[in-house]
Amino acid sequence: MEALETRPDPDAILDEIREQQEKDSGKLKIFFGYAAGVGKTYAMLDDAQEQYRCGKNVLVGYVEPHTRPDTMQFLQGLPALPPRKILYRNIELQEFDLDEALRRRPELILVDELAHTNAEGVRNRKRFQDIEELLNAGIDVYTTVNVQHMESLNDVIEDITKVRVKETVPDYIFERADMIKLVDIEPQELLRRFEEGKIYRLNQVQTAMRNFFSLDNLKLLREIAMRKAADRISNENQSERRLSQKLANTKMLVCIGPSPSSARCIRWTARAADAFHAHWVALYVESIESNYQSEEQQKTIRANMDLAEKLGAEIVTLSGHDIAETVCEYAKLSGITNIVVGKSRNKKSLKNLFEMDFEDKLISYLPNIEVYIIPGSTIRRNYKKPRKTIPIKTFNFSWLDFAKTLGLLTAATVLSFGLRRLGIGEQNVIMAYILSVLIISRVTAGHVFGVVASVVSVLTFNFFFTEPYFTFNTIQAGYPITFLIMLLAALITSTMTVRIKTQASLAVQRERRTEVLYEINKKLLITRGLENIVALTNEYIVNLFDRSVIFFAADPEQGEDGSVMQSPDDVNGSLLNSADEKAVAHWVFLNQKRAGAGTDTLMGAAAFYMPVISQGKVLAVLGVSCLKGTLDHSTRLFLRMIASQVAMSLERQHLSDEQRGIIVEAEKEKMRSNLLRAIAHDLRTPLAGILGASSVIRENRNTLDESTSEKLNADIQEEAQWLLRMVENLLSVTRINESASKVTKSPEAAEEVIAEAVGRIKKRFPQRKIVVSVPDELLEVPMDGTLIAQVLINLLENAIKHSKDESPVEIVLKKKGESALFEVLDHGKGIAEDDFPYLFTSYVPNGNKSSDSSRGMGIGLSICMTIIKAHNGTMEANNRLEGGAVFQFSLPLEGSE
Amino acid sequence: MVLVIEDEDAICNFITAILNSNGYRVVKSNTGKDGLSVAVSYNPDVILLDLGLPDIDGVEVLKSIREWSKIPVVVVSARGHEREKVEVLDLGADDYIVKPFGTSELLARIRTALRHSPQSMGGESNGVEKVTIGELVIDFGKRVVLLDGNMVHLTPVEYKILALLSKNAGKVLTHDYIIKEIWGAYADDSHTLRVNMANIRRKIESNPGIPKYILTEMGVGYRMAEEIN
Repeated sequence: MEALETRPDPDAILDEIREQQEKDSGKLKIFFGYAAGVGKTYAMLDDAQEQYRCGKNVLVGYVEPHTRPDTMQFLQGLPALPPRKILYRNIELQEFDLDEALRRRPELILVDELAHTNAEGVRNRKRFQDIEELLNAGIDVYTTVNVQHMESLNDVIEDITKVRVKETVPDYIFERADMIKLVDIEPQELLRRFEEGKIYRLNQVQTAMRNFFSLDNLKLLREIAMRKAADRISNENQSERRLSQKLANTKMLVCIGPSPSSARCIRWTARAADAFHAHWVALYVESIESNYQSEEQQKTIRANMDLAEKLGAEIVTLSGHDIAETVCEYAKLSGITNIVVGKSRNKKSLKNLFEMDFEDKLISYLPNIEVYIIPGSTIRRNYKKPRKTIPIKTFNFSWLDFAKTLGLLTAATVLSFGLRRLGIGEQNVIMAYILSVLIISRVTAGHVFGVVASVVSVLTFNFFFTEPYFTFNTIQAGYPITFLIMLLAALITSTMTVRIKTQASLAVQRERRTEVLYEINKKLLITRGLENIVALTNEYIVNLFDRSVIFFAADPEQGEDGSVMQSPDDVNGSLLNSADEKAVAHWVFLNQKRAGAGTDTLMGAAAFYMPVISQGKVLAVLGVSCLKGTLDHSTRLFLRMIASQVAMSLERQHLSDEQRGIIVEAEKEKMRSNLLRAIAHDLRTPLAGILGASSVIRENRNTLDESTSEKLNADIQEEAQWLLRMVENLLSVTRINESASKVTKSPEAAEEVIAEAVGRIKKRFPQRKIVVSVPDELLEVPMDGTLIAQVLINLLENAIKHSKDESPVEIVLKKKGESALFEVLDHGKGIAEDDFPYLFTSYVPNGNKSSDSSRGMGIGLSICMTIIKAHNGTMEANNRLEGGAVFQFSLPLEGSE
Repeated sequence: MVLVIEDEDAICNFITAILNSNGYRVVKSNTGKDGLSVAVSYNPDVILLDLGLPDIDGVEVLKSIREWSKIPVVVVSARGHEREKVEVLDLGADDYIVKPFGTSELLARIRTALRHSPQSMGGESNGVEKVTIGELVIDFGKRVVLLDGNMVHLTPVEYKILALLSKNAGKVLTHDYIIKEIWGAYADDSHTLRVNMANIRRKIESNPGIPKYILTEMGVGYRMAEEIN
């Protein structure tokens, strides 16, 4: 039986293998074409039929219902998944049923149109996300896509076809595919098909489509598609060298801004980086102007960042007043080799007269770095370009600032009158006005008051202090120049002041963030224990963002509720623990991706969920309530930084837990080997007796007299009995679950257990009188009956051995409060004081007692103790006043599982 | 005639010695397959079956015996787990005995098994009028229970349990079996059974802590004593 334990459990191994198989993600095969109608779906179905004939478990997940009839006939015989019907604005839409597909778990699933955008109300926004989930679940996927849907080729194709494709697929999906099948057809043939109406039914043929299907377009598209496929093949061939090259060679940087042409730069860089197998960084510099960005511009920025992220860039946000300088600083520090910029569209303005162009500046600062200039997009969208917004939009009129401006200007005027009265020259008057403009810029918010004050001060100067007085006319020739210089001086002063102010406030913001991060880091370092880490993180997030937060430290599908912390002015946080929200968090756990409100996946959730990842493993999921509105980019970035800190600290916690586990394990191992040594010794003694006695009997059969051999036989029996009891005790210990020290409890009638123990003891000691008293009421106690019977047997045996033969041994069962109390009493000499401390340990401290003398005792009682402890019970031994000892233990009546 | 299916010679020898000296004929078999063929050809009165056999699991042997025969089977097991005992009993074993066992225990089990075998029961199994165990008399005809000559007042359920046990005196009846017999196929409440059993014991046993008539088989079921010693 013991051998069984050392042998690995085959079920466990099977489970492990199964788990590993599950971890292997499915294979993705993409049928890739250059336009609709080249026969992708046809090729996919053909291939699927082949696989189906080979006995593979194939499932048709979704095929566009408008598919051509001759293609549709290929569907015959294949098991198909009924589409999920979704009611959206009273239109019934048919969508691929992801959950059903995951439930069915086919080996291979067919999902048409990789670039499809799902209807609202479906978990994922895009179909490629559905497919990723299928792959992660270990299901092979066949899908189709056209070249114009590739994210990085999007603008190139738009230039060719003049058709903007909105549904795009990030390139990494394409990279991830295990097989790409290029489905090709001569453009002439495609056109012929098109004319015949095979591709779109005649009524669907619209002018746009006619434009699209021109021979030139198709030729170009075909070329791009083929080149894309060819690139992939060459990438595959170089894959071994890829990593080292990546690190050694090129590192590209693209500067992005609020202009829509940035997207073009991003795509260009993505393609170039891909071709060079290079890392690339998308850099956004926050400057003073970013404070005055319109809503639309901010949206574009966010879209650009998302795009860059999708295409595989690292996103960096820096702040500085001079963009070129900041970019250069960053490029130098992080070893950038190539920089991509969009051609700045700044009109020749006053400022630009004195400043170099951005790209010129870059070149002059960084002579060693290659700079690529991408022209702003020229087609059609021009009219949409957001005009450089005048700060009016963000200008908040405040009476206080107005009063300040008025007061200061008046003061300057009064001062100037005073100065004139004193006969001090008018150059000082000018100075007084410039000073007032400076102060106004300083004390008021925004540009406006400074600018207004500049103009007003020039006008007042003109009105009051130039001849003719109290008119806006001037007669002296030099005055216009004076005015101009004064205006310029005042304007520049005010701009500078404002700039310094904004920078200071930006710096303060940064400072605060850094400080908070540092603080979190410091606090996390000294925090021990999972709950404390969770509580600390929650507290910080709530304080920083004023939103309720939830922290799942384990997969919510199996683990408990996440720890919620409620923000005072956010909605009820307990909502975050609802089943729906948990499902989102679970998804995040599985897919290691962000999800929830403000993302592309499960947007309907009430919160934004972010995984806390360390070494490719999700340690926790953080959810931040979005009921007050989705999180902006910088908040998410900040959250991500916090998450990485938390990840570090969680990992540290895991490591220390693990280490503690190892120590405990080692301690246990030590105890076990001690026990084993003690047992081995105890077992050897009776075996020696048995062997000796039996050999005496066999060898001296003729010389032994009857009584001696009878005595020897009795000895053998006695020793064997002892061995048997020992083994039974040991077996009972193996029933206790090693790791948790827990037993499987089921309710048992206590009196039956006592009867069992007494019955077994009576067989062994038929002469002894055992008095049993049980209460009238039936006591049902949750326990492992066999183990408790073993405890009672050990105690009874102990009592019998330590008392005189004629004295009775008593066993009493009582109900005491919420537990059942078992007592075993004897009328012997009691327990020696010296023995008390070591009564329930298998360990005898001083070697003066040989293990023979305590034979069976120490181990028997320590096993009793182990069993009772595993039942959450208590056990103690005492001497009775009237003589003899009493051993009592109590078991809780309520199942404490 | 007793068929002993047991692979360990030491135990086989000892069992054979006991059985021979008590007047039983013994056929030995060392493996499960051999045991099965011997069982077919000799058609023994009782089979003593060890669970740990070298070729096939004793449980399988039991199953295939039960496919064609009702020969009483007493399972000999070194494995002490209750679940296994319950399993073999549910599979149709008549009794079990755990190694190591004493001479008298073995003989008692074989006697009981023989008494309950279909041959010896014949048609009389339902016709038994009354059972007497020690001071306890259960009269099935009159549906009364007498202890020491005095009427014992039992509830109908208690009477049914007692009758069931006494009809199978000497045999272990598993909890599930008793529950099914008394409450029907879909009941699953061992608590009720324990409560009823405790009540019966308080009525017929002088000390329920040391029962004489209804013995507990821990984790398995109950056994009515055949005789009081």
